Amino acid sequence: MPPLSSPSRREALRLLGSGLTLALGACAKPSEEIVPYVRAPEELLPGVPLRYATTLPLSGWGRGVQAIAVDGRPIKIEGNPLHPASRGATDVFAEAAILDLYDPDRSRTVTERVNGIASWEMFVRAWRAPLAKVRGQGGRGLHLLTGRVTSPTLARQIAGLRAALPEAVWHVHEPVDEASAARGANLAFGRPLRALPHLDRAEAILCVGADPLGPGPDQIRFAAAFAERRRDPARFGRLYVAEAAPTLTGIKADHRRALHPRDWAGLLVQVANGLGAGLPAPGLGAEALRFAEAAAADLKAHPGRALVLAGPALPPELHALAHWINGRLRAPVDLIAPPDGADAPPSDLAGLCAALDAGTVEALVILDANPVLTAPADLEIGRRLERARFSVHAGLHGDETAGATHWHLPLTHALESWSDLRATDGTASLVQPLVRPLYGGRSVHEVLALLGGEEAASGHDLVRQTWRAAWRAASGEGGDFETRWRRCLHDGIVAGTAAFPAAAPEPRLPDLPAGPAAGFAVEIRPDPCLWDGRLANTAWLQECPKPVSKQVWGNALALSRGEAARRGVSAGDVVRLSAGGRAVEVTVAIESGVAEGVGALTLGYGRERAGAIGDGIGANAYPLVSAASPWLATGVEMVPAGRRAEVLRTQNDVRIEGETRKLFRQIDLAELARAEPKGIGADQPSLLAPWQGDADGHAWGMVIDTAACIGCNACVVACQSENNVPVVGPEEIARGRMMHWLRVDLYDSGTPEAPRAGFQPVPCMHCEHAPCEPVCPVAASVHDGEGLNLQVYNRCVGTRFCQANCPYKVRRFNFFGYADGQEYAHLGAEPVRAQRNPNVTVRARGVMEKCTYCVQRIATERQAAERDGRPMGAVSTACQSACPTRAIRFGDLNRADDGVAALRRDPRHYALLEELNTRPRTTYLADLRAPNPDLAEDRS
Amino acid sequence: MVQIFRPGADSVARVVLASMAVVPVLAVGLAYTLWRSPYATAQNVTREQPVPFSHEHHVGGLGIDCRYCHTSVETAAFAGIPPTETCMSCHSQIWTNAPMLAPVRTSLAEERPLVWRRVHTLPAYVYFNHSVHGAKGVGCTTCHGPIQTMKLVYQAAPLTMGWCLDCHRDPAPHLRPHEAVFDVGWQAPADQERVGRRLAEERHIRSPERLSECSICHR
Repeated sequence: MPPLSSPSRREALRLLGSGLTLALGACAKPSEEIVPYVRAPEELLPGVPLRYATTLPLSGWGRGVQAIAVDGRPIKIEGNPLHPASRGATDVFAEAAILDLYDPDRSRTVTERVNGIASWEMFVRAWRAPLAKVRGQGGRGLHLLTGRVTSPTLARQIAGLRAALPEAVWHVHEPVDEASAARGANLAFGRPLRALPHLDRAEAILCVGADPLGPGPDQIRFAAAFAERRRDPARFGRLYVAEAAPTLTGIKADHRRALHPRDWAGLLVQVANGLGAGLPAPGLGAEALRFAEAAAADLKAHPGRALVLAGPALPPELHALAHWINGRLRAPVDLIAPPDGADAPPSDLAGLCAALDAGTVEALVILDANPVLTAPADLEIGRRLERARFSVHAGLHGDETAGATHWHLPLTHALESWSDLRATDGTASLVQPLVRPLYGGRSVHEVLALLGGEEAASGHDLVRQTWRAAWRAASGEGGDFETRWRRCLHDGIVAGTAAFPAAAPEPRLPDLPAGPAAGFAVEIRPDPCLWDGRLANTAWLQECPKPVSKQVWGNALALSRGEAARRGVSAGDVVRLSAGGRAVEVTVAIESGVAEGVGALTLGYGRERAGAIGDGIGANAYPLVSAASPWLATGVEMVPAGRRAEVLRTQNDVRIEGETRKLFRQIDLAELARAEPKGIGADQPSLLAPWQGDADGHAWGMVIDTAACIGCNACVVACQSENNVPVVGPEEIARGRMMHWLRVDLYDSGTPEAPRAGFQPVPCMHCEHAPCEPVCPVAASVHDGEGLNLQVYNRCVGTRFCQANCPYKVRRFNFFGYADGQEYAHLGAEPVRAQRNPNVTVRARGVMEKCTYCVQRIATERQAAERDGRPMGAVSTACQSACPTRAIRFGDLNRADDGVAALRRDPRHYALLEELNTRPRTTYLADLRAPNPDLAEDRS
Repeated sequence: MVQIFRPGADSVARVVLASMAVVPVLAVGLAYTLWRSPYATAQNVTREQPVPFSHEHHVGGLGIDCRYCHTSVETAAFAGIPPTETCMSCHSQIWTNAPMLAPVRTSLAEERPLVWRRVHTLPAYVYFNHSVHGAKGVGCTTCHGPIQTMKLVYQAAPLTMGWCLDCHRDPAPHLRPHEAVFDVGWQAPADQERVGRRLAEERHIRSPERLSECSICHR
């Protein structure tokens, strides 16, 4: 018999001995190096964070942010208070942009399909022939495909290109577009105007398939306006939502009706008829009719303060009808010329397909778009791209389209390049780099200049030229360009660029189309975490729980209980959806509030060339997208695929009779006057000594307004970014492990058919009588004089007693070195480490961690105050500064002038599990709704 | 009957019993002593540097202020290591050809930074802040030792947590008037106990309980 395995006993002992000797010799401290500058940059203090105003794109629209850099290393994104699309807050996409910057899977070099790695010089040589050819024919045969272009510089460059080569064709394809809304405005006003609803002035709101509070470029603006108005009970108003499956807006609605998309038209017609449209009465069901009548009556009762919003899945005619209703209601909607409009409107993807079929495409340039993934599947763009004689793709990643073109050029990230962008209201702002390109690459402006034949154009100069010309045109020769440029860079916004409301004619009443075909329909939506799929390789977003379903690492087809039972499928079954000859296999998830006869599926998953994080996660919904109806697949056939798969969720549904009402206090507006604030249970007897702070100290506390929380998850990702919270990966999530210090729970006190739900963010409660503290055998869980419940990582030996004893379940254990040696996928790579916040310890394997109330931010402010000999100023936690609706307030309970102390006396105030006598420092304000008394028995 | 145990067995048993009690105590004591010893704390260890920069000459001899080179000591957590430029602001005039300074000249000429070896290393989970300590009246030499006598810098204090806490629990003996913080020759006056207590009160230095809380230094 051969020996069991090498090494032999003798060798093993020898290795053990030498190992021991080496280990003993290694007891000395490691030798560290200090590398100072050769020439120090002015005003840079080592280790002190600096903020730069810049702009991040989402589907081409700009959102102003402040990027924080430490020692030249960008580490965090925060909102820019001056920018109208940010108002000082962020969303998940902006927060995650910082991880996207460091993504090791970003493309690092020019590649050529046959020969692989190439260089910019080789591309320039290869480009000469096709460029000369199309130049010879006045540009005929040159096709440029971009996403939505709002950048004034890019628009100027494209206009210049089109002027020089008049036969060249520019196509625009944006996966999450607003084509239906634009066509609807065209029908109503004869012009493609863009509607800017003012949720701060609208009190009665009806959303039909629309999700203004949901993810998107306007989420922060809408959510902030909505929540700000609702703070005033007199202007609380009422929100009606009719939708196929729950959205954030649906969850926040006072009345929500799950409605099949075929009934959306009927609902709008019913409302329009109530305002004198005189359209033929639709065949609505009795309950939907009552809902429509109640909503119509409410809208009518609020002239000038009522608003109807139509969703992207609605056909243009219904958008036009919504405009007509808004016209009648004198709704607070501004109509502006689309900020992404060009003088000569660009062609679309269908035009490109026709040219490819005709074989007239000499050179195809795809700039920062991924049509092979995101184009409507019936266009079969991947196959058609083969017919271009020369094709080049420029993008951040070597994605699906990069694999289908002849050349791929690496682009720079928005945090590495000079550019400019416009927000949805037309406000322009500059994009400035925080760091040199990490992986080589050039900006879109530089690439476009290169393609036009100018080789050495710098993005900085191109952007400055745009604004120099724009300001000169606006103010003549006068005006100091440098001063103005610096001001714009500093503020992160070019003042006075917001679009003026256009004078629009009275909207016309459109002819209504036939409703969508019968049969099972699937509503397709951009994903609340991955958007259209371009962020699929960002681990924070993959592990960010979806607001309503709490699913992570994948998507699922949401079905109602009844629909699933009727079709004989259950949660976890994989089904095959087929429409138009294409099929998708996706896991079924049963969800409350989904209409019968419809399913909901999000985009962005099932990527093949996203990278180490995003590849093969979830199901790709794009095959169901058709050019005619991108957001609603009708006549879908669903058959079980005979497999089962797990839907990973971070909140598992547990129902205990009566608990929901206790844990999630909900008050009707009518009862607000009679509501009493609930304390933290400090009047109950306790064996523990009452908490006593330091005489000159602070008492940190947090109050979270659940009525304002829209569940957008910005706080969750902001916390992850600020506090070096690691990603654990799908396998660990399946074991019930996660690391988020802050979670957003969904409580539902309604029924599966009519949910009445709300969001509750849960960080550490920092209990004054913390149950985690007495059970720790090594005093790793201790209190400080300002009331923070501290976790001392170096003392922690990993007994997990504290986790077991925490009634709020906010403690997280490093079962593995999630952040320290055993990272998921490529998250341990050197570039990803550069994202870490140097002010927060990276936790090792085997230690407990949890929310610290951003103790590093408190300490930074305390130290600055001590150094300057002044009282401490306000401290803002990461979750608080990210929150678009200011639902999270943090402050000093010892200071009467601090808002938090006052909020504790609010009639809606309550504490979680106060009967346990934990005396939490984090407390809540109850959710507030204003149900319509006419719909009392039908309350949802 | 044959004896099972040899005559010495009793003594052996006694020694074993005694050492069962004593050895663990000694072992812990030895480990603790080793832990605190300069061997483990790297106290008094002089490290070789790319340029043998002498604080004795520059501080003790020429009397250059600490802040001339360590510019961010009053404003940031990190005191700052001077960029090559700072060295060359004098050494472009004097000792321009000294072979000892060749790495400095090369650094400036080639735009390549000097790589110094760190002498005072704190663990990554300790967030020490120079600016606050200076503002409260803790002088440079309190922690860094007689820097004006060091040819090459060594770590004068053990920099253990116990050593930090000694002062956090009783800062009064180490507090100086503001003008003396950067005075390397400062000697505590005879009535330091009284002066220190007065300074602690004037500068709102927190109570020993607050100053020894975990969150003061760890995050």
